[in-house]
This record gives sequence, C-alpha cells and structure tokens, in this order.
Amino acid sequence: VQRLLSEARGVMASPNRTARSAVVTGRLLGIAFLVCFATGVYSHLLQEPPGWMRFPTRPVQLYQVTQGLHITAGIAAIPLLLAKLNVVMPALLQTPPVRGVLHLLERLSIAVFVTSALIQVVTGLLNTFQWYPWPFPFRQVHNALAYVIIGSLVLHIGTKLRIITRYWRSRDSYDEHGRFVPDATVGSDLPDPGREARPDSDASPRGLVGRLHRWIDGADVPRASRADGRPAEHAEHAERAEPVGQEAEAEGGRQRIARRGFIAGVTAATAGVVVLTAGQSSVLAEPFNVFGPRQRHIGQNGLPVNRTARAAGVLATATAADWALTVAGPAISRTFSRAELVALGQTEARLPISCVEGWSQMATWKGVPMRALLAAVQSDPDVHVRVTSLERHGGYRIMEMGPEYTADPTTLVALELNGEKLDLEHGFPARIIAAGRPGVLQTKWIERIEVIA
Amino acid sequence: MSTTGPEQRLRTARIVLAVVGVVVIAFGAWVLVTSVRPDRIGGLVVWLIAAVVLHDAVLSPFVLAVGAGLRRAGRRLRAWVLVVVQAAVVLGSVLALVVVAEIVAKSEGTKNPTVLPFDYTARLLVVEGVLIAVVVVALVVGAVTARRRADEPVVAATTSP
Repeated sequence: VQRLLSEARGVMASPNRTARSAVVTGRLLGIAFLVCFATGVYSHLLQEPPGWMRFPTRPVQLYQVTQGLHITAGIAAIPLLLAKLNVVMPALLQTPPVRGVLHLLERLSIAVFVTSALIQVVTGLLNTFQWYPWPFPFRQVHNALAYVIIGSLVLHIGTKLRIITRYWRSRDSYDEHGRFVPDATVGSDLPDPGREARPDSDASPRGLVGRLHRWIDGADVPRASRADGRPAEHAEHAERAEPVGQEAEAEGGRQRIARRGFIAGVTAATAGVVVLTAGQSSVLAEPFNVFGPRQRHIGQNGLPVNRTARAAGVLATATAADWALTVAGPAISRTFSRAELVALGQTEARLPISCVEGWSQMATWKGVPMRALLAAVQSDPDVHVRVTSLERHGGYRIMEMGPEYTADPTTLVALELNGEKLDLEHGFPARIIAAGRPGVLQTKWIERIEVIA
Repeated sequence: MSTTGPEQRLRTARIVLAVVGVVVIAFGAWVLVTSVRPDRIGGLVVWLIAAVVLHDAVLSPFVLAVGAGLRRAGRRLRAWVLVVVQAAVVLGSVLALVVVAEIVAKSEGTKNPTVLPFDYTARLLVVEGVLIAVVVVALVVGAVTARRRADEPVVAATTSP
C-alpha cells in the first residue's frame, strides 16, 4: 500500500503541485473566502439584527455592492477552490498517512475545511438558481459553515505558517533557472517537482509512474528504458556530457511553462465564470451576462421578480377593492385606501432592489415617505416599526425596521415603480422600499405598519 | 528579559492562529446545532461526506487523467499553444460544471419566468464551440509558424495542468 501511495504521489508530482503553488492559490482563495465571509455576515446581521444595531443607509447602493461582491467572490471561489485542491492533491496520499495525534487532528481539520468549503460554494451557487436539492435548511447551514470555514482557514494558516512564510515571495521559491527550490525543513507534504520523473533522465522510476511518463512522452523514450526501467547507455552518456547549467536551464524552462499554463487556466476559468455571470449585479458586466441566473430589465415594471403574488397567496387579498393600509401610532391609528395614500403626496426615490441571491437593479420608485405616514399618526420619525404583509406564510411576512430607515426621507411606501403603477408581482397595492436593505426586507403587499418603540 | 527571535515569534503566531481557529470553528458548530434541527444535521453530514468523496475519488482522478492526456497530446506543441489549449480546457470545464447545474435547476422548474431566464443549454454549446474554435486556431497557427521556423526547437512534454 505504501508503495502504491508513493507511486500515486509520483504521478501527481508537477511543477504546479508545490508548496509555492499552494501558497499562491491559497492566498487568492483566502481572499475570496474573507470577502464572502465579511459580506455574508453583514447580510446576515441586516436580516437578523441585534436590537441595538444600526445600519448605514448611504450610499444607497451599499447592500447592492456588498451582496454583489458576496456572490461574485463566491463564484470566483469555485475555480480557485478546485485549483487549490488540485495543487495539494499529493498531500492526500502522503505516507505515512498519520504521523501522530497532532498530525491526525490536522488532517481531520483539513477534511472538515475541504468538505465545508465544497458544500458552501456548491449550495451557495445553487441558491442563486433558487434550487434546493438538499435535506437541510440553506440559510442556517450557510451561516454556520461560514464560521467553520473561516475558523478552519485561520487554523490552516497557523499549521502551515512555516511553509507560507518560506514560499510567500516568488524570489524565495525559485532558483536562478526558474526551478522550484524544495525546502525539507518547513514540512511541506507536496513532492518535489524536480524529482518528477522524466523518462530520459536517471531519475526515471520503474512501475506505474515510469510507465505513465513514458506513455505521456511517447516517442521520446529511449528504447532500452522500456526493457529494464533504466535509460539506454547512449542516453546516459548524452546526459552526462551535457553541461549541468544547460540541464538546469531546460528544467527551469519546463517548470516555468508548466506554471504559466496553470496560471493561465486558473485565471481564464476565474475571469470567465465571473465575467459571464456578474451581469446580474453589475452594470459593467451587464453586456456579458451569458450565464447569469438573472437578467436585468425583464419582468413586470422592467424588474425581475423573486416571490410571485401567487406563491405568496395574495392574488385575492392584494386586489380586493376594500384593501386599506393600517398605520398604528403610539396614540392613534388610521387606515388609508390607495387613493388616500396617493393624496398624501408622493415622493420619488432612486433606490436599488438588491436580492440576497445576488441580483440587483436600480429602479425609480414613487410613493409616500414613511416619515409622512408616521407624522399622519402623530408619531416621531425616529421609531421602530413592524410591517405586516398580506402573505399567508413565509419567513418574511413580518418585517421590522429601525429608526435609521423610518427617519430616512427616501424610505417609501411605494405605489409606483419605473413610471408605472406598481405591478401585483412587485407588491401592489403598496410595498416598502428602503435604502441599503436586502430585497427580502422590502416587504410587498403590505397591510399594516405599527410603531413598536 | 529574553529577546524574541523570529523563530519564537513564528511559534507564538502559530499557537495564536490555531487557538483562534479552533474557537471560531467551535462557534460555527454551536451556531449549527442551535439553528438546525438534529434530524436535518444528519442530512448535512451525509452531504459533507459525499462532497469530499466525490471530489477526491471521482473528480481528482478524472482531472489527473485529463492532465496526463493533455501532456501527452501537448508534447509536440509550442509553449504558447499549450498554454492556450490548457486555459481553454480549464475554462470550458469550469463553465460546464456551473452551467450544467443551471440547466438542471431550470429543468426542475423555476418559481417564475425571471428566474433562470435564458436557454442555458444553447448558450453553453455556443461558448464551448467558441472555445473549441480558439483551440483549433491556436493549433493551426502554432503548426504553421512551427513549420516556418522549422529549425527552432519545439517545447517537448512540459506541463501538467
């Protein structure tokens, strides 16, 4: 088994599976994970804020940017994660598999890290397609795994710190010929690419690895090496005669080209998936939106829809002739028909709708400012309110809003969208729109606003 | 007072990072068990194990085999041609992974027509077709320029993706 493992490691040996490649891909993936974590925690706090917490409402695109970054960095993490796992593949088959209790714990922690990261990016991606083929709740698991992943990242940096500092800089990682410089003292589990067997060198191994490399290099194989695994005599002579510097130069060149190929592949894949999907949340990438799960400017009122009136079960109640919005202040309570709301005087606001699933679009809203409604029931504008939707069920039927939003003059009970009457799918007869909040909190089909503090 | 050398600082940093990491992981585990019902955590564990098995036992060997195939096929290619071919293969594979998931999600049915609005199958075929065309052009240009400069050495079997 030991020999098989070491042979398999030999197959995997490559100039792109070195400690330096692990550091380079790890840095990029680490940045992507940190961006996802920071923006994800922000989004989570917006949705489930501790009572004392206040949020900025300017710039109005803040959440559009943070959540767009969250999804974009998450999509970029897919090729980066695959690249990183590809780089460290030989470490999976290290011999001996376990060197002691600490080593076992480290390997277990890496298993947790790898599988959490895989599940996180896969479920995150499928969530943007609104597809949930798994037997657990997405939001809670995504939130919990985020901490497991960031904790694992910190732990991983701790355990690999010696390798990371040793190979942080390119000039410490390669010799003057461009060959990777192995350093046994830092404890890397990855094989030396210089020992990666070439059939026309003395290092040519027997068995599986040798056969594989001979297959790869095809006609270049000296005939004798096939018979006994040793290079033919003339090849040996030729190599000895060759100046050492020239050989090192050739090996350096070979490794350098391999690295360039790898970097080109990872860059192309990362840039490709980002550019071809980011158009759902970025104006710059809009013309290249080939594979985005959403497209801007389609749907009712020229805006995509998340939850439909039918799904929310409001087809009848939202179109009822006797619909009225109840606004309950600390002292008095009033009800407003849609015509009465219009009569209160409408304000226009340019605010984006920004979904937790990443898509977003700027829109022009017209409606009654929350401040005006609160004034109509003799309430201060700086209050907490609870907004209830006509929706029969769903986690966002009831929404609460802090004073930073209620006092904001751009926070509207919206009646019009993009110059037309608010469509039923977008919350007719009236909905909330406020700056800097996730789309799920821009409650549609509202029936009640209540001052709670 | 003893001076702290770089070795000592590295040790301290490693210990601090390890402790912080373990604490944050434990916090994540606590968030998980307090926010997800126990019977659904079982389903999550199955998915976590399946993910690592699928990656390590299916995807990795497949990628390794494709890499070996590319190295064999690429042993007579000029370096830049090989780099272009590799980049196209990697991009094409990652796009296929992402977009096939999208195609399946769409076939499962969406909640409204603004979710997954495109014909992703047709778009994927077009993009993969463009990538194949890029590869063909690179191979042809590489072959033509190689013939023109026949005395220049080509780069032999150099790389593994």
